[in-house]
Amino acid sequence: MATEVAAVPIRERAPWIESVVGQSLALVAAFAIAVAIGSVIVVLYGESPATVYGAMLRFAFKDPTSIGTVLSIATPLIFSALAVAVCFKAGLFNIGVEGQFLVGMVTASWAALTFDFLPGASHMVMVLLFSMVGGMVYAAIPAVLKVTTGAHEVVTTIMLNGVALSIVSWALNGPLKYTNAPPGQNVDLRTDIFEPSALVPKIGGAFDVGASANLSLLFPIGLVAALIVWFLIRRMRLGYEARAVGSSVGSARAGGIAIGAVQIKLFLISGALAGLTGMQQVLVERGALVQNYESQLGFTGIAVAFLGQNNPLGIVFAAILWGILSRGETALQIETEVPREFVIILQSILILTVVVVYQIARRRLARRQLQRAGTQEKGSADAAAPQDVDRPEPPERMSEVD
Amino acid sequence: MDGEPGAGRGSAPPLVVMEHITKRFPGVLANDDVSLELRPGEVHALIGENGAGKSTLMRVLYGMYPPDEGRILVKGEEVRISSPRVAIQCGIGMVHQHFVLVDPFTVTENVILGDEGGTVLDLDAANDRVAELAQEFGFRVRPGAIVEELSVGEEQRVEILKALYRGVDILILDEPTAVLTPGEAKELFGNLRKLRAAGKTIVFISHKLDEVLEIADRITVLRRGRAVGETRPADTSKAKLAEMMVGRPVLFRLEKPDVRIGEPVLHAEELLAVGPVNGLSLDVRAGEVLGVAGVEGNGQRELAEVLIGLRPLTSGRIVLNGTDITGWSVEDIRNAGVAYIPEDRHEQGLVLDMTLWENAILGRQDDAEYTAAGRLVLLIRKIKSLAGRLIQRFDVRAQTINVSAGTLSGGNQQKLILARELDTEPKLLIAAQPTRGLDVGAIEFVWRRILDQKAAGRAILLISAELDEIYALADRIVTLYEGRITGEYPPDAEPEDIGVGMLGGRLEAAS
Amino acid sequence: MDLGDVGAAVRIAFIYFTILYLTGLGGLFSERSGIVNIGLEGLMVIGTVTGAAGVEVLAGPAPVGLGWGAGGVVLGLLFGALCGLLFAGVHALATITFRVDHIVSGVVINLAAIGLARFLSFVFFEQATQSDPGGPHLPRIDIPGLSSLPAGLGRAFTSLSPVVLFAAFLVFPVWFALYRTRWGLRLRSAGENPEATRSLGVSVSALRWQGVLLSGLLAGLSGAFLSVEVVGNWREGQTLGLGFIALAALILSNWNPRRLMLATFVFGFAQAIPLRFRDWPVIESIPPQLIRTIPYVVTIIAIAGFVGRVRPPAAAGRAYEGAGGS
Repeated sequence: MATEVAAVPIRERAPWIESVVGQSLALVAAFAIAVAIGSVIVVLYGESPATVYGAMLRFAFKDPTSIGTVLSIATPLIFSALAVAVCFKAGLFNIGVEGQFLVGMVTASWAALTFDFLPGASHMVMVLLFSMVGGMVYAAIPAVLKVTTGAHEVVTTIMLNGVALSIVSWALNGPLKYTNAPPGQNVDLRTDIFEPSALVPKIGGAFDVGASANLSLLFPIGLVAALIVWFLIRRMRLGYEARAVGSSVGSARAGGIAIGAVQIKLFLISGALAGLTGMQQVLVERGALVQNYESQLGFTGIAVAFLGQNNPLGIVFAAILWGILSRGETALQIETEVPREFVIILQSILILTVVVVYQIARRRLARRQLQRAGTQEKGSADAAAPQDVDRPEPPERMSEVD
Repeated sequence: MDGEPGAGRGSAPPLVVMEHITKRFPGVLANDDVSLELRPGEVHALIGENGAGKSTLMRVLYGMYPPDEGRILVKGEEVRISSPRVAIQCGIGMVHQHFVLVDPFTVTENVILGDEGGTVLDLDAANDRVAELAQEFGFRVRPGAIVEELSVGEEQRVEILKALYRGVDILILDEPTAVLTPGEAKELFGNLRKLRAAGKTIVFISHKLDEVLEIADRITVLRRGRAVGETRPADTSKAKLAEMMVGRPVLFRLEKPDVRIGEPVLHAEELLAVGPVNGLSLDVRAGEVLGVAGVEGNGQRELAEVLIGLRPLTSGRIVLNGTDITGWSVEDIRNAGVAYIPEDRHEQGLVLDMTLWENAILGRQDDAEYTAAGRLVLLIRKIKSLAGRLIQRFDVRAQTINVSAGTLSGGNQQKLILARELDTEPKLLIAAQPTRGLDVGAIEFVWRRILDQKAAGRAILLISAELDEIYALADRIVTLYEGRITGEYPPDAEPEDIGVGMLGGRLEAAS
Repeated sequence: MDLGDVGAAVRIAFIYFTILYLTGLGGLFSERSGIVNIGLEGLMVIGTVTGAAGVEVLAGPAPVGLGWGAGGVVLGLLFGALCGLLFAGVHALATITFRVDHIVSGVVINLAAIGLARFLSFVFFEQATQSDPGGPHLPRIDIPGLSSLPAGLGRAFTSLSPVVLFAAFLVFPVWFALYRTRWGLRLRSAGENPEATRSLGVSVSALRWQGVLLSGLLAGLSGAFLSVEVVGNWREGQTLGLGFIALAALILSNWNPRRLMLATFVFGFAQAIPLRFRDWPVIESIPPQLIRTIPYVVTIIAIAGFVGRVRPPAAAGRAYEGAGGS
C-alpha cells in the first residue's frame, strides 16, 4: 500500500504554457478560417482577397487619425465586452448589456443637464458616474429577480432590453427633450446640447491624431477598466468566488460562498461597465443624446467578448480588431467593388469560427491532461460517461470513469 | 420448482459469448482480454470493485463502444454490435444506473419512444400493450402515469419495460439496487425471478456481495479490467468473493487508537427539515467517531447538509461546543470549526474546472491568513504553498498543482478534499460516504486519516451506507431511518441487530 | 371614444398576431427540440428583405418582375420563408454540429442579419435600406358574417390578408404534429431529455436540425408577411423587435402552441393600443412609449413566478441558465 509520500514535483510551467500556446494557436487558426471563408465571397465579386484585405488594413493604418478612429470605435466595445465577461465568469449571461447601456445614456444625459453648474472636470466625472449608476440600477433588476425568484437572467435581460428602448424614447420625447431649439429651425429629436464641461476631452493631438478621430480619454479609461477587471477576476476574492460559482455552484456553496451576493455584485459591476459604453457617443462624438443614437453596441459587445474569449486582454485586442474591420468598411466603399456590408458578415464569421475552434481546442487540451493523469493510475477504469449514439465520445474527465 | 436458480438449465447452450474482449480509453485499459458466457434462463452476476471494468464490458455488449479486440457471438453467430439499436435487435437490452426517462411523458410514451409503430401515434393501443407486458412479468406500473411523479422503483420498472417491449432475451442491469429501498429491492428480485423462469437472461452488475449471493446463478468476478474467475453462490462466500475482487484478503478492521472520549462537541436536537429530516437528535463527543448507518435514501445527505448549513432547518437546534449555531451560514459554521467531506465530491466538494491550488483554498477563501487588503485580495503564493503541502502530505497523485481538479482520479480527488478539510484542524468533522467509489488502497488511506483525527481528540460524524466502514471506524453506532435516529448500538453489535434499526426498528421477516 | 376604434384595434391585433404567432411557432419548434433560438429577430429580418425581393421578381410588373399575380406573391412569400430556413441553417450548424453556446449563436444571427439584409437589399433593390413602396400583395378577404358586425366591430374582420387566416388555422396541424405523431414525440423528447432519445437509437441531431430549420422557415415567412402584406415594401429595422416580443410570448405560453395563440393575440392587441386608443381616458395619460413595454413587463412578471410557473423544455432550459445547453 503506497502510503509513502512521493515528492510531487511542483512544476508550475508546463500546463499553463500549454494552455496559452494552445489558445493563441486556436485564435490564429480561427482567424485564418474566417479569412478564407471571406475570401470566397470576395472572389465572387471579382476581386482578389489580397487586394481587398490589403485595402482594409492599409486604410485603417494609413495615418494617425485613422488609427485614432479605430481605437475610438473600439472604446465602447471594450466596456460592453468587459461587462459581458465579468458576468460570464460567474456563469451569468448578461445579454442585457444593450439595455443597461441605453439606460446609462439616459441617466448620464440627465446628469449632464442637471449638474451643469459644476466646474470643469467635476461635471464630467459626475456624468460618468451617473452613467455607471444608471447601468448598475438597471442591471440590479435581473440580478435581484434571479436571486430572489430564480428567474433566468437571459430571459429577463432580453425583455429589459426591449423596455430600455422605450425608456430612451420616452426620455427624449418627454423629460429630457430639448428646450432651446434655435428659432425657425427644424431640429431632430434630442436632448439639449451638453455644456462642454460635461464632455470627455479628446486626446492624441500629440501624436497627430486629428479631432475627427474622436479618440478620447475614454480609451485609456477602457484600458484601465480592462486591467481592473483582470485583477478582480484573478487576484481578488470576489473573482475567485465568481469563478467557483460559475463553475460549480454546489461546491461553491459548500465552501461557504454566498451565491446570491456574488451574483448580484457581479451584475452590478457589469452594469456599471455597460453604462460607460454609451459615453463615447454621448460625451465625445455628439455632445447630446440624439434620436438616431448608435445602438447594438451591447450586442456587439457580446460578440467582442466571445471573440476575446471573455478574457480582459483578449477583449482589448478583439475590440481593436473589430475597430480595424469596421474602419475597413470605408476602404471597401472607396477602393473596391465589394460592398461595405461584407465587413459585418466577415465579423460574424469570425466570431463563430473563434468560438468553434476554441471549443475544439479546449476539448483536446482536456483530453491531453486526462491522458497524462491516466498514465499514473493504470487499470482503473469503468467508463460512466453518457454515451452519444450520434457521436461516441470517451470520458472527458478521469472522474467520470466510474 | 419455478424460479429456482439454475433449475435444469445448466446445460443449455450459451446465448451470448464474449471472447477476448479488450477495450482501451485514453490512458486506461478498461477491459483486458475478458471472456464471458451468458446462458438462457439465468441470473448472471458481474461483480468487481469500482473501476474493475464491469460497466464498460456491458456497454461493449450493448453496442455503446466498439471493442478494440475480441468478438461477440449471439446464438453462435459472430455479430458486430455497432449501436444500442443493433444490440436490441440481437435481443440485448440494458438498464443504466442513471435512468434515461423523459419526465413530462407518460410511462407508455417513454416505453414506445423510438419504436412507435407508425407515423401517427396510437396511444390507446400502446397503453394496452404496455399494461399487458407489465402484467406478464408482474411489474406494478400504470401506463398512463407521468414519469415525473413516479418513485425511483417505479422508474426502474419503466426502464425494464422499455427493454422487454423490444423483445430482449438478455437484460443487463447496472447496479440496480443502488437507488432502491429494501422493499423495492425485494420487489425487483421477485420480478427478476419471474423473468428468469420465462427463459430470460439477467446480467446483474453489482458490488453488493449479499445481494449477489442471494439472486445469482453464476458469478463472474472482474478485477482491474480482467476476469479473475467464475463461480456459483453455493461454491463461494462473501469473503472469498471479496478476495477475488481485490486480490488479497481485505482489511476489514484497522487498529483503533485508544482515546479518552470527552464532552459533546456537537449536540443536535429534534432537527426538522424538508427532505427526510424528521425529528433527528444526536450527540458527537470529542475523540469519538459516531457512525450513522442506514440504507441510502433515508436522509443521510440531508443530515450532513443541515449540519454544515447547506439546508435550512424548519425547526430544531444545533449546538457546537456550547454555542448555538442554528441557522448559521455555511461560512460561519465553517469558521466555527466544522469541516465537511461531502457525499458527492463533484457537486459539493471540488470545482472541477479550477486548479488544485484553487480548490485547496475553497472553504477558507476569506481567511485572514490567505488574504490581504481587508480580505479582498488573495495571497496567491501562500495559497500555492498550502496546496503543495496538502498534496504531498496526502499523497495526491498529480503532475503539478496547476492541473485542473477534473483530471484527477476519484481517489485522488477525495484525498484532496480530505487534505483540505483536515488541514483546518476542525473541532467537528462531518464525513458523508467518505470512501464511495474509491479503490481499496484509497479506502484504507482515508480510514487511517480519519482515525488520526480521532486520536487528535476531534469529534467525527461518519455517515456511511457501508457497514464495513462503520464497523472499522465507529465507537458508537446509530441507525438512520426516514430521517430519524432509530437505534443506538455498541461498536461490536451484530449486523442483524443493526439491520433492524436500519429498517425502521420493526422486526421484518428476513428477505 | 368610438367602438370603431375597437374594431380597428382588433384588426391590427390580428395582423400583429400573425407576425408574432408565425415567429413564435418557429421558436417553439426549435426550443422544443432543445435548441434555444434568440435569433428569431434576425431570421425575420432576412424574411423581410428576401420576401419583398421574391415578390417583386415574381409578381411585380415588367421589366423587373414576371407579373405572376397572386401566385407570384405566394411564391415570393415562400421564397422569404426559404431564405429564413437557410439562414437558420447557420444557427443549426453552429449549435448542433459545433456545440456553440446557443445564446452566442443567436446573438450572432441577429447581428449578421442586419448587415446581410443591407447586402441583399443592394443586390435586389440597389438601395441599402429600403425597397420601392407599393409592392404587390395578396387579395384581401372579408370574413363572411363577421365582417358585417355592427358598431364598427366588423372592421376587425374586413380586408384581411389570407396569411392571417393561414396563421390562425396553423395551430391545428401544428398541435397534431407535436402531440399525435411519432415525429412530435421524438422532437419533444430531444428537448426534454436527449439522453433518453439517444439511448433509444433516435438521432437527436437530426431532430434538432429539423426544429431549427423550421424556426427559420416560419420566422422567415413572418418577416415576408410583414414586408409584403403589411407594409408594402422592405425597410430597414421594420421588424421593430417583434422577434423578441414573439420570444416573450413563447415563454409566457409555456411553449404550448395553443396558449401561444392567446399570448400573441394579447400582445398584438397591446401593440394596437397606442395606435388606436390614444384619446381614450386613462390611456391618454400613459406615455405611448411605455405602453409598448407591456409585453416585456408581463413576461418578466410571469417568469419571475409572480403568476404561476413557466417551465421551458428541460434541455433548452439549461441553455437559458447560461450553461450553453447540449
